[in-house]
Amino acid sequence: MTTRLADRRPVYVVGVGMHPYQFASDTPYIEMGLTALRAALADAGLAFPAIESAFIGTTGIGMAAGRIMFNHIGSTGLACTQVENASASGSSAFQLACLEVAAGRRDCTLAIGVDKYGDQKRAVLKEHVNRLSDTAHIPLVKYALMAEHLAKEKGLAPEDLAGVAAKNHTNASKNPFAQFRKPRSVEQVLASTLVAGSTTSLMCCPRGEGAAAAIVCSEEGIRRLGIAGDRPVRVTASVLQSERPQQGREIPSVTLAQEVAERAYEEAGITADALDVVELHDAFAIEEILYTETFGLAPKGAGQHFLREGGSAIGGRCAVNASGGLIGQGHPLGPTGIGQVHEITRQLRGEQGERQQQGARIGMAHMIGLGSIAIAHVLQRE
Amino acid sequence: MTTLEKPDLYRLAEGGRTLELRFARCTACDAPSFPHSPYGCPRCGAPADALREEFRDGRATLLGFVTLHARLAPGIEPPQVVGEAEIAPGLIEEVMLAGDETDFTDGMAIRAIPHEVQREGGAVIACRFAPDPEAAP
Repeated sequence: MTTRLADRRPVYVVGVGMHPYQFASDTPYIEMGLTALRAALADAGLAFPAIESAFIGTTGIGMAAGRIMFNHIGSTGLACTQVENASASGSSAFQLACLEVAAGRRDCTLAIGVDKYGDQKRAVLKEHVNRLSDTAHIPLVKYALMAEHLAKEKGLAPEDLAGVAAKNHTNASKNPFAQFRKPRSVEQVLASTLVAGSTTSLMCCPRGEGAAAAIVCSEEGIRRLGIAGDRPVRVTASVLQSERPQQGREIPSVTLAQEVAERAYEEAGITADALDVVELHDAFAIEEILYTETFGLAPKGAGQHFLREGGSAIGGRCAVNASGGLIGQGHPLGPTGIGQVHEITRQLRGEQGERQQQGARIGMAHMIGLGSIAIAHVLQRE
Repeated sequence: MTTLEKPDLYRLAEGGRTLELRFARCTACDAPSFPHSPYGCPRCGAPADALREEFRDGRATLLGFVTLHARLAPGIEPPQVVGEAEIAPGLIEEVMLAGDETDFTDGMAIRAIPHEVQREGGAVIACRFAPDPEAAP
Protein backbone atom coordinates (compact mmCIF):
# COMPACT_ATOMS: atom_id res chain seq x y z
CA MET A 1 0.00 0.00 0.00
CA THR A 2 1.33 3.43 -0.87
CA THR A 3 0.69 6.64 1.02
CA ARG A 4 0.84 10.28 0.01
CA LEU A 5 3.13 12.81 1.60
CA ALA A 6 0.04 14.54 2.96
CA ASP A 7 -0.91 11.35 4.81
CA ARG A 8 2.35 11.34 6.77
CA ARG A 9 3.67 13.76 9.37
CA PRO A 10 3.47 17.32 8.06
CA VAL A 11 6.78 18.64 6.70
CA TYR A 12 7.67 22.33 6.68
CA VAL A 13 10.39 24.39 5.04
CA VAL A 14 11.73 26.48 7.92
CA GLY A 15 14.81 28.09 6.36
CA VAL A 16 16.26 28.75 2.92
CA GLY A 17 19.51 30.26 1.67
CA MET A 18 21.57 30.65 -1.47
CA HIS A 19 24.96 31.50 -2.83
CA PRO A 20 24.46 33.48 -6.06
CA TYR A 21 24.65 31.45 -9.25
CA GLN A 22 27.63 32.54 -11.34
CA PHE A 23 29.80 31.68 -14.31
CA ALA A 24 32.79 29.38 -13.76
CA SER A 25 35.13 30.84 -11.16
CA ASP A 26 37.84 29.97 -8.66
CA THR A 27 35.36 30.05 -5.76
CA PRO A 28 35.70 26.74 -3.86
CA TYR A 29 32.53 24.70 -3.70
CA ILE A 30 32.80 24.62 0.08
CA GLU A 31 32.63 28.41 0.22
CA MET A 32 29.51 28.45 -1.94
CA GLY A 33 27.86 25.60 -0.08
CA LEU A 34 28.52 27.00 3.37
CA THR A 35 27.30 30.44 2.29
CA ALA A 36 23.96 28.90 1.31
CA LEU A 37 23.87 26.74 4.44
CA ARG A 38 24.63 29.60 6.83
CA ALA A 39 21.96 31.71 5.14
CA ALA A 40 19.40 28.92 5.58
CA LEU A 41 20.37 28.44 9.23
CA ALA A 42 20.06 32.18 9.86
CA ASP A 43 16.72 32.21 8.05
CA ALA A 44 15.43 29.44 10.34
CA GLY A 45 17.10 30.86 13.45
CA LEU A 46 19.01 27.61 13.96
CA ALA A 47 22.59 26.57 14.63
CA PHE A 48 24.19 23.77 12.61
CA PRO A 49 24.03 21.16 15.43
CA ALA A 50 20.23 21.26 15.12
CA ILE A 51 20.51 19.57 11.72
CA GLU A 52 20.08 15.83 12.20
CA SER A 53 20.64 14.68 8.64
CA ALA A 54 21.63 16.15 5.29
CA PHE A 55 21.04 15.26 1.64
CA ILE A 56 23.54 16.82 -0.75
CA GLY A 57 22.57 17.24 -4.40
CA THR A 58 25.58 17.51 -6.68
CA THR A 59 26.57 16.28 -10.12
CA GLY A 60 30.20 17.11 -10.64
CA ILE A 61 32.16 17.68 -7.46
CA GLY A 62 33.03 14.12 -6.55
CA MET A 63 32.56 11.57 -3.82
CA ALA A 64 31.75 12.76 -0.29
CA ALA A 65 31.33 16.40 -1.31
CA GLY A 66 28.91 17.07 1.53
CA ARG A 67 30.84 15.37 4.27
CA ILE A 68 34.03 17.21 3.31
CA MET A 69 32.09 20.49 3.29
CA PHE A 70 30.59 19.85 6.73
CA ASN A 71 34.09 19.42 8.19
CA HIS A 72 34.27 23.19 7.98
CA ILE A 73 31.10 24.01 9.90
CA GLY A 74 31.25 21.35 12.59
CA SER A 75 31.47 17.57 12.59
CA THR A 76 28.28 16.94 14.49
CA GLY A 77 27.84 13.34 13.44
CA LEU A 78 24.78 14.11 11.33
CA ALA A 79 23.61 11.54 8.80
CA CYS A 80 24.94 12.52 5.40
CA THR A 81 23.83 11.22 1.98
CA GLN A 82 24.95 12.44 -1.43
CA VAL A 83 22.36 12.49 -4.22
CA GLU A 84 22.93 12.59 -7.97
CA ASN A 85 19.95 12.84 -10.31
CA ALA A 86 21.35 15.04 -13.10
CA SER A 87 19.60 18.41 -13.30
CA ALA A 88 17.16 17.26 -10.63
CA SER A 89 19.83 16.37 -8.07
CA GLY A 90 18.82 19.20 -5.75
CA SER A 91 15.13 18.42 -6.19
CA SER A 92 15.79 14.79 -5.30
CA ALA A 93 17.84 15.79 -2.27
CA PHE A 94 14.91 17.94 -1.18
CA GLN A 95 12.48 15.07 -1.74
CA LEU A 96 14.55 12.69 0.37
CA ALA A 97 14.82 15.28 3.14
CA CYS A 98 11.05 15.74 3.13
CA LEU A 99 10.38 12.00 3.12
CA GLU A 100 12.77 11.41 6.00
CA VAL A 101 10.96 13.96 8.14
CA ALA A 102 7.54 12.77 6.98
CA ALA A 103 8.45 9.19 7.87
CA GLY A 104 9.36 10.22 11.40
CA ARG A 105 13.04 9.31 11.19
CA ARG A 106 14.25 12.91 11.80
CA ASP A 107 12.77 16.18 12.97
CA CYS A 108 15.18 18.58 11.28
CA THR A 109 16.84 17.80 7.95
CA LEU A 110 18.87 19.73 5.41
CA ALA A 111 18.71 19.59 1.62
CA ILE A 112 21.62 21.37 0.00
CA GLY A 113 22.68 21.60 -3.63
CA VAL A 114 26.12 22.71 -4.68
CA ASP A 115 28.02 22.37 -7.93
CA LYS A 116 31.01 23.65 -9.81
CA TYR A 117 31.01 24.06 -13.56
CA GLY A 118 32.62 21.54 -15.82
CA ASP A 119 33.29 18.27 -14.01
CA GLN A 120 30.07 16.48 -14.93
CA LYS A 121 30.25 13.12 -16.72
CA ARG A 122 27.26 11.61 -18.51
CA ALA A 123 26.61 7.89 -18.16
CA VAL A 124 25.00 7.75 -21.59
CA LEU A 125 28.49 8.09 -23.04
CA LYS A 126 29.32 4.77 -21.36
CA GLU A 127 26.19 3.05 -22.68
CA HIS A 128 28.05 1.54 -25.65
CA VAL A 129 24.99 1.99 -27.84
CA ASN A 130 25.25 4.29 -30.83
CA ARG A 131 22.46 6.50 -32.19
CA LEU A 132 21.78 7.53 -35.77
CA SER A 133 22.12 11.23 -34.94
CA ASP A 134 25.25 12.65 -33.36
CA THR A 135 23.00 15.02 -31.39
CA ALA A 136 20.56 12.38 -30.17
CA HIS A 137 21.52 12.98 -26.54
CA ILE A 138 21.40 16.78 -26.68
CA PRO A 139 18.10 18.01 -25.20
CA LEU A 140 18.35 21.35 -27.01
CA VAL A 141 17.87 19.61 -30.34
CA LYS A 142 14.74 17.79 -29.17
CA TYR A 143 13.20 21.03 -27.95
CA ALA A 144 14.23 22.93 -31.09
CA LEU A 145 12.49 20.24 -33.16
CA MET A 146 9.42 20.62 -30.95
CA ALA A 147 9.46 24.39 -31.39
CA GLU A 148 9.57 24.00 -35.17
CA HIS A 149 6.69 21.53 -35.02
CA LEU A 150 4.58 23.90 -32.92
CA ALA A 151 5.41 26.79 -35.22
CA LYS A 152 3.93 24.84 -38.13
CA GLU A 153 1.02 23.30 -36.23
CA LYS A 154 -0.08 25.99 -33.81
CA GLY A 155 1.39 29.27 -34.96
CA LEU A 156 4.06 29.50 -32.30
CA ALA A 157 6.27 32.43 -33.30
CA PRO A 158 9.95 33.09 -32.58
CA GLU A 159 8.65 36.16 -30.72
CA ASP A 160 6.86 33.81 -28.30
CA LEU A 161 10.08 31.99 -27.46
CA ALA A 162 11.78 35.36 -27.12
CA GLY A 163 8.92 36.53 -24.93
CA VAL A 164 9.58 33.74 -22.43
CA ALA A 165 13.28 34.54 -22.35
CA ALA A 166 12.73 38.32 -22.09
CA LYS A 167 10.31 37.83 -19.17
CA ASN A 168 12.68 35.52 -17.33
CA HIS A 169 15.81 37.59 -17.97
CA THR A 170 13.92 40.66 -16.75
CA ASN A 171 12.73 38.83 -13.61
CA ALA A 172 16.33 37.71 -13.01
CA SER A 173 17.61 41.26 -13.31
CA LYS A 174 15.85 41.97 -9.99
CA ASN A 175 17.11 38.80 -8.28
CA PRO A 176 20.37 39.19 -6.33
CA PHE A 177 21.07 35.46 -6.63
CA ALA A 178 20.64 35.28 -10.41
CA GLN A 179 23.46 34.52 -12.83
CA PHE A 180 22.09 36.92 -15.46
CA ARG A 181 21.12 40.35 -14.10
CA LYS A 182 20.29 42.28 -17.25
CA PRO A 183 16.72 42.95 -18.36
CA ARG A 184 16.27 41.81 -21.97
CA SER A 185 13.76 42.77 -24.61
CA VAL A 186 12.18 40.45 -27.15
CA GLU A 187 14.28 42.15 -29.82
CA GLN A 188 17.51 41.57 -27.90
CA VAL A 189 16.70 37.90 -27.41
CA LEU A 190 15.90 37.45 -31.09
CA ALA A 191 19.13 39.21 -32.06
CA SER A 192 21.34 36.90 -29.97
CA THR A 193 23.27 34.06 -31.61
CA LEU A 194 21.13 31.57 -33.50
CA VAL A 195 21.69 28.04 -32.14
CA ALA A 196 19.10 25.66 -33.59
CA GLY A 197 16.05 26.49 -35.68
CA SER A 198 14.62 29.70 -34.23
CA THR A 199 16.17 29.09 -30.81
CA THR A 200 18.81 31.69 -29.93
CA SER A 201 21.45 31.68 -27.22
CA LEU A 202 19.44 33.92 -24.86
CA MET A 203 16.56 31.45 -25.04
CA CYS A 204 18.85 28.84 -23.43
CA CYS A 205 19.90 28.58 -19.80
CA PRO A 206 23.53 29.29 -18.96
CA ARG A 207 25.81 26.73 -17.34
CA GLY A 208 27.40 27.83 -14.14
CA GLU A 209 27.88 27.13 -10.46
CA GLY A 210 26.41 28.05 -7.09
CA ALA A 211 24.60 26.65 -4.07
CA ALA A 212 21.18 26.58 -2.47
CA ALA A 213 19.94 25.15 0.84
CA ALA A 214 16.60 24.38 2.45
CA ILE A 215 15.95 23.13 5.99
CA VAL A 216 12.81 21.07 6.61
CA CYS A 217 11.27 20.25 9.98
CA SER A 218 8.42 18.34 11.52
CA GLU A 219 5.92 20.08 13.82
CA GLU A 220 7.76 18.48 16.73
CA GLY A 221 11.03 19.91 15.42
CA ILE A 222 9.52 23.36 15.02
CA ARG A 223 8.27 23.31 18.62
CA ARG A 224 11.44 21.85 20.10
CA LEU A 225 13.73 24.22 18.21
CA GLY A 226 11.59 27.28 18.86
CA ILE A 227 11.11 28.21 15.22
CA ALA A 228 8.72 31.15 14.71
CA GLY A 229 5.26 29.80 14.05
CA ASP A 230 4.18 32.16 11.28
CA ARG A 231 6.97 31.50 8.79
CA PRO A 232 7.12 27.76 8.00
CA VAL A 233 5.81 26.70 4.59
CA ARG A 234 4.30 23.23 4.32
CA VAL A 235 5.35 20.76 1.62
CA THR A 236 2.11 19.09 0.54
CA ALA A 237 3.26 17.00 -2.42
CA SER A 238 6.45 15.33 -3.62
CA VAL A 239 6.34 13.26 -6.82
CA LEU A 240 9.02 11.79 -9.09
CA GLN A 241 8.63 9.57 -12.15
CA SER A 242 10.72 8.65 -15.21
CA GLU A 243 9.75 8.68 -18.86
CA ARG A 244 8.27 6.01 -21.09
CA PRO A 245 8.93 5.51 -24.84
CA GLN A 246 7.81 8.36 -27.07
CA GLN A 247 4.27 8.14 -28.43
CA GLY A 248 3.57 10.50 -31.29
CA ARG A 249 5.30 13.86 -31.56
CA GLU A 250 5.27 14.92 -27.92
CA ILE A 251 8.68 14.73 -26.24
CA PRO A 252 8.55 12.07 -23.50
CA SER A 253 9.73 14.54 -20.87
CA VAL A 254 6.72 16.75 -21.65
CA THR A 255 4.28 13.85 -21.35
CA LEU A 256 6.02 12.92 -18.13
CA ALA A 257 5.82 16.46 -16.75
CA GLN A 258 2.05 16.34 -17.10
CA GLU A 259 1.81 13.03 -15.29
CA VAL A 260 3.98 14.27 -12.44
CA ALA A 261 2.06 17.54 -12.11
CA GLU A 262 -1.27 15.73 -12.03
CA ARG A 263 -0.02 13.36 -9.36
CA ALA A 264 1.31 16.31 -7.35
CA TYR A 265 -2.05 18.10 -7.58
CA GLU A 266 -3.83 14.96 -6.42
CA GLU A 267 -1.41 14.51 -3.55
CA ALA A 268 -1.74 18.14 -2.48
CA GLY A 269 -5.50 18.14 -2.99
CA ILE A 270 -5.42 21.10 -5.37
CA THR A 271 -6.05 21.92 -9.02
CA ALA A 272 -3.89 23.98 -11.35
CA ASP A 273 -6.12 26.99 -10.69
CA ALA A 274 -4.82 27.12 -7.12
CA LEU A 275 -1.20 27.75 -8.12
CA ASP A 276 0.02 31.29 -7.50
CA VAL A 277 3.69 30.75 -8.34
CA VAL A 278 5.47 28.07 -10.36
CA GLU A 279 9.17 27.56 -10.85
CA LEU A 280 9.62 25.21 -13.79
CA HIS A 281 12.39 23.71 -15.89
CA ASP A 282 12.92 26.31 -18.61
CA ALA A 283 16.32 25.12 -19.78
CA PHE A 284 15.03 26.26 -23.19
CA ALA A 285 12.29 28.83 -23.72
CA ILE A 286 9.97 26.43 -25.54
CA GLU A 287 9.78 24.32 -22.38
CA GLU A 288 8.00 27.04 -20.43
CA ILE A 289 5.30 27.27 -23.09
CA LEU A 290 4.91 23.48 -23.16
CA TYR A 291 4.81 23.07 -19.38
CA THR A 292 2.34 25.86 -18.76
CA GLU A 293 0.05 23.78 -20.96
CA THR A 294 0.82 20.39 -19.45
CA PHE A 295 0.48 21.82 -15.94
CA GLY A 296 -2.99 23.07 -16.82
CA LEU A 297 -2.17 26.76 -16.43
CA ALA A 298 -3.14 27.25 -20.08
CA PRO A 299 -5.23 25.10 -22.42
CA LYS A 300 -3.30 22.64 -24.61
CA GLY A 301 -1.90 24.46 -27.61
CA ALA A 302 -2.45 27.88 -26.05
CA GLY A 303 0.68 28.30 -23.96
CA GLN A 304 1.88 31.17 -26.11
CA HIS A 305 -1.43 32.99 -25.57
CA PHE A 306 -1.08 32.60 -21.79
CA LEU A 307 2.35 34.21 -22.11
CA ARG A 308 1.26 36.96 -24.51
CA GLU A 309 -1.64 37.93 -22.23
CA GLY A 310 0.65 38.23 -19.21
CA GLY A 311 -0.75 35.19 -17.42
CA SER A 312 2.75 33.99 -16.47
CA ALA A 313 4.12 37.41 -15.55
CA ILE A 314 4.57 38.57 -11.98
CA GLY A 315 1.15 40.02 -11.21
CA GLY A 316 -0.48 37.66 -13.73
CA ARG A 317 -2.70 34.70 -12.95
CA CYS A 318 0.29 32.55 -11.94
CA ALA A 319 3.82 33.96 -11.83
CA VAL A 320 5.99 31.50 -13.73
CA ASN A 321 9.71 31.61 -13.03
CA ALA A 322 9.57 34.81 -11.00
CA SER A 323 13.18 34.03 -10.02
CA GLY A 324 14.22 34.26 -13.65
CA GLY A 325 14.03 30.49 -14.00
CA LEU A 326 16.86 28.43 -15.39
CA ILE A 327 17.22 30.90 -18.25
CA GLY A 328 17.77 33.89 -16.00
CA GLN A 329 18.58 32.76 -12.47
CA GLY A 330 20.75 29.99 -13.90
CA HIS A 331 21.08 26.23 -13.89
CA PRO A 332 24.14 25.05 -11.96
CA LEU A 333 22.56 21.54 -11.80
CA GLY A 334 22.94 20.38 -8.17
CA PRO A 335 21.49 23.55 -6.64
CA THR A 336 18.82 24.31 -9.23
CA GLY A 337 15.86 22.49 -7.71
CA ILE A 338 16.58 23.81 -4.23
CA GLY A 339 16.96 27.31 -5.66
CA GLN A 340 13.37 26.88 -6.85
CA VAL A 341 12.30 25.97 -3.30
CA HIS A 342 14.14 29.06 -2.06
CA GLU A 343 12.18 31.26 -4.48
CA ILE A 344 8.80 29.70 -3.74
CA THR A 345 9.29 29.73 0.03
CA ARG A 346 10.14 33.41 -0.02
CA GLN A 347 7.25 34.14 -2.40
CA LEU A 348 4.82 32.38 -0.05
CA ARG A 349 6.24 34.37 2.86
CA GLY A 350 5.75 37.60 0.90
CA GLU A 351 9.43 38.54 0.97
CA GLN A 352 10.36 39.04 -2.67
CA GLY A 353 9.96 42.79 -2.92
CA GLU A 354 9.47 44.01 -6.48
CA ARG A 355 9.31 40.39 -7.69
CA GLN A 356 6.56 39.51 -5.23
CA GLN A 357 3.44 37.77 -6.55
CA GLN A 358 0.84 39.42 -4.34
CA GLY A 359 -1.14 37.10 -2.12
CA ALA A 360 0.82 33.99 -3.12
CA ARG A 361 -0.24 30.99 -1.02
CA ILE A 362 0.53 27.91 -3.13
CA GLY A 363 3.52 27.20 -5.37
CA MET A 364 4.99 24.33 -7.35
CA ALA A 365 8.61 23.55 -8.15
CA HIS A 366 9.26 21.36 -11.18
CA MET A 367 12.47 19.98 -12.61
CA ILE A 368 13.49 17.61 -15.38
CA GLY A 369 16.60 15.49 -14.97
CA LEU A 370 18.50 13.95 -17.84
CA GLY A 371 17.24 10.53 -18.72
CA SER A 372 14.54 11.77 -18.30
CA ILE A 373 12.97 12.05 -14.90
CA ALA A 374 10.51 14.69 -13.74
CA ILE A 375 9.95 15.82 -10.17
CA ALA A 376 7.46 18.20 -8.62
CA HIS A 377 6.92 19.62 -5.14
CA VAL A 378 3.93 21.64 -3.99
CA LEU A 379 4.50 24.13 -1.19
CA GLN A 380 1.71 25.83 0.67
CA ARG A 381 1.41 28.63 3.21
CA GLU A 382 -1.10 27.59 5.83
CA MET B 1 36.56 2.57 -48.72
CA THR B 2 33.75 0.85 -46.81
CA THR B 3 34.53 1.50 -43.16
CA LEU B 4 31.27 2.26 -41.45
CA GLU B 5 31.21 4.92 -38.73
CA LYS B 6 28.55 3.05 -36.69
CA PRO B 7 28.46 -0.57 -37.88
CA ASP B 8 26.21 -1.55 -34.97
CA LEU B 9 23.44 0.57 -36.55
CA TYR B 10 23.59 -0.06 -40.29
CA ARG B 11 25.25 -1.80 -43.25
CA LEU B 12 25.55 -1.05 -46.93
CA ALA B 13 22.71 -2.44 -48.99
CA GLU B 14 23.40 -4.42 -52.13
CA GLY B 15 24.69 -2.02 -54.75
CA GLY B 16 26.05 0.34 -52.10
CA ARG B 17 23.70 3.27 -52.79
CA THR B 18 21.57 2.93 -49.67
CA LEU B 19 21.92 1.67 -46.11
CA GLU B 20 20.00 -1.01 -44.24
CA LEU B 21 19.25 -0.40 -40.58
CA ARG B 22 20.04 -3.04 -37.96
CA PHE B 23 16.96 -3.60 -35.82
CA ALA B 24 16.40 -6.20 -33.12
CA ARG B 25 13.36 -8.52 -32.95
CA CYS B 26 12.53 -9.94 -29.56
CA THR B 27 11.73 -13.66 -29.59
CA ALA B 28 9.87 -13.27 -26.29
CA CYS B 29 7.49 -10.41 -27.11
CA ASP B 30 7.98 -10.11 -30.89
CA ALA B 31 8.57 -6.34 -30.64
CA PRO B 32 11.04 -4.72 -33.01
CA SER B 33 13.47 -2.23 -31.50
CA PHE B 34 16.18 0.13 -32.63
CA PRO B 35 19.02 0.42 -31.99
CA HIS B 36 19.79 -3.22 -31.31
CA SER B 37 20.53 -3.26 -27.58
CA PRO B 38 23.41 -5.48 -26.42
CA TYR B 39 21.70 -5.74 -23.03
CA GLY B 40 18.12 -6.82 -23.59
CA CYS B 41 14.70 -6.05 -25.04
CA PRO B 42 13.69 -2.45 -24.25
CA ARG B 43 10.02 -3.42 -24.47
CA CYS B 44 9.64 -6.55 -22.34
CA GLY B 45 13.01 -6.78 -20.60
CA ALA B 46 14.00 -10.16 -22.03
CA PRO B 47 17.78 -10.76 -21.90
CA ALA B 48 19.99 -9.99 -24.88
CA ASP B 49 20.05 -13.57 -26.13
CA ALA B 50 16.32 -13.25 -26.83
CA LEU B 51 17.02 -10.58 -29.46
CA ARG B 52 17.45 -11.52 -33.09
CA GLU B 53 19.18 -9.26 -35.60
CA GLU B 54 16.80 -7.97 -38.26
CA PHE B 55 17.99 -5.71 -41.08
CA ARG B 56 15.42 -3.47 -42.76
CA ASP B 57 15.76 -1.11 -45.67
CA GLY B 58 16.39 2.42 -44.44
CA ARG B 59 13.03 3.83 -45.54
CA ALA B 60 11.44 6.25 -43.08
CA THR B 61 8.91 9.05 -42.80
CA LEU B 62 10.26 12.47 -41.91
CA LEU B 63 8.15 14.00 -39.13
CA GLY B 64 9.98 17.29 -38.70
CA PHE B 65 13.38 18.89 -39.03
CA VAL B 66 15.49 21.81 -37.87
CA THR B 67 18.80 23.36 -38.86
CA LEU B 68 21.59 23.40 -36.30
CA HIS B 69 23.53 26.64 -36.52
CA ALA B 70 26.12 25.79 -33.87
CA ARG B 71 28.59 22.92 -33.47
CA LEU B 72 26.61 21.14 -30.79
CA ALA B 73 28.56 17.88 -30.90
CA PRO B 74 31.87 16.61 -32.24
CA GLY B 75 31.56 15.85 -35.92
CA ILE B 76 28.77 18.35 -36.51
CA GLU B 77 29.62 20.96 -39.12
CA PRO B 78 26.89 23.61 -39.12
CA PRO B 79 24.63 24.25 -40.80
CA GLN B 80 23.44 20.66 -40.33
CA VAL B 81 19.83 19.61 -40.70
CA VAL B 82 18.54 17.05 -38.20
CA GLY B 83 15.09 15.56 -38.09
CA GLU B 84 12.75 13.19 -36.35
CA ALA B 85 11.76 10.21 -38.43
CA GLU B 86 9.51 7.21 -38.00
CA ILE B 87 11.85 4.40 -39.07
CA ALA B 88 9.29 1.66 -38.37
CA PRO B 89 5.70 1.84 -37.16
CA GLY B 90 5.82 3.56 -33.77
CA LEU B 91 9.61 3.84 -33.67
CA ILE B 92 10.76 7.47 -33.82
CA GLU B 93 14.45 8.30 -34.01
CA GLU B 94 16.43 11.48 -34.43
CA VAL B 95 18.28 11.35 -37.76
CA MET B 96 20.76 13.50 -39.65
CA LEU B 97 19.71 14.72 -43.05
CA ALA B 98 21.82 15.25 -46.20
CA GLY B 99 21.24 18.64 -47.75
CA ASP B 100 19.57 21.79 -46.50
CA GLU B 101 16.06 22.61 -45.32
CA THR B 102 14.82 23.35 -48.82
CA ASP B 103 15.26 19.67 -49.72
CA PHE B 104 12.73 18.48 -47.14
CA THR B 105 9.10 18.72 -46.11
CA ASP B 106 7.29 17.25 -43.13
CA GLY B 107 5.77 13.87 -43.89
CA MET B 108 7.98 13.09 -46.86
CA ALA B 109 9.52 9.69 -47.51
CA ILE B 110 13.24 9.58 -46.81
CA ARG B 111 15.86 6.86 -47.04
CA ALA B 112 19.16 6.12 -45.33
CA ILE B 113 22.14 6.68 -47.59
CA PRO B 114 25.91 6.37 -47.13
CA HIS B 115 27.63 9.69 -46.63
CA GLU B 116 31.40 10.01 -46.37
CA VAL B 117 32.66 12.05 -43.42
CA GLN B 118 36.12 12.70 -42.05
CA ARG B 119 36.86 11.39 -38.60
CA GLU B 120 40.04 10.81 -36.63
CA GLY B 121 41.81 8.12 -38.59
CA GLY B 122 40.35 9.05 -41.97
CA ALA B 123 37.17 8.88 -44.00
CA VAL B 124 34.27 6.70 -42.87
CA ILE B 125 30.72 6.09 -44.05
CA ALA B 126 28.11 7.81 -41.92
CA CYS B 127 24.34 7.46 -42.15
CA ARG B 128 22.37 10.37 -43.53
CA PHE B 129 18.81 10.46 -44.77
CA ALA B 130 17.78 11.97 -48.08
CA PRO B 131 14.49 12.21 -49.99
CA ASP B 132 13.56 8.76 -51.25
CA PRO B 133 13.53 8.89 -55.07
CA GLU B 134 11.61 5.63 -55.20
CA ALA B 135 8.76 6.87 -53.01
CA ALA B 136 5.36 7.44 -54.52
CA PRO B 137 4.83 11.16 -55.22
